[in-house]
Amino acid sequence: MQARQMAHPENILDKLIKITIEKLGVKEDEVKANSSFVEDFGADSLDTVQMVAAIEEAFGIEIEDEKVESMVTVEKAVEVIEELLKEKA
Amino acid sequence: MVDKSQVLSLCRSLLRAGRKYPDYNIREYTKRRTLDGFRMNKNLTDPSKVEEAYAEGKSQLEVVERVVKVYLAYPPKTKNIMELKLQ
Repeated sequence: MQARQMAHPENILDKLIKITIEKLGVKEDEVKANSSFVEDFGADSLDTVQMVAAIEEAFGIEIEDEKVESMVTVEKAVEVIEELLKEKA
Repeated sequence: MVDKSQVLSLCRSLLRAGRKYPDYNIREYTKRRTLDGFRMNKNLTDPSKVEEAYAEGKSQLEVVERVVKVYLAYPPKTKNIMELKLQ
């Protein structure tokens, strides 16, 4: 399933896709809901740290290490971001 | 012996601390320097060199945290043009 067909708030997904494209150098049409940052986009651990920092800055949230470990795919990352935004609100 | 999770946690702490600088140039430099520094040392295998690099990173984190406080006391009066463009 293409990432854009997911039933998630557009602004979270759009921002995440933009960050993924910018930090990992992938094309927009390569980003799918079940895309793995490590396996599909070749992100190493420092790329992951950089992505998480960009996500924290873009959404104004802080992501704990345990939650970072669960953000393996685009879909999982959106879920974590949504959850943290709800806690923040 | 320092493990991978500690190294990554230190990197994240440095990036988070650097985000607090009110000055755009220093904020971006800290981000860039942190990532460059960790990438430069990512293939270290000698335990003593790993420990040395980690200790240096920790001491730099202390510097960032200390200097951020000073910069927050005297924030720039205007935004950098790069920040205006990003808005």
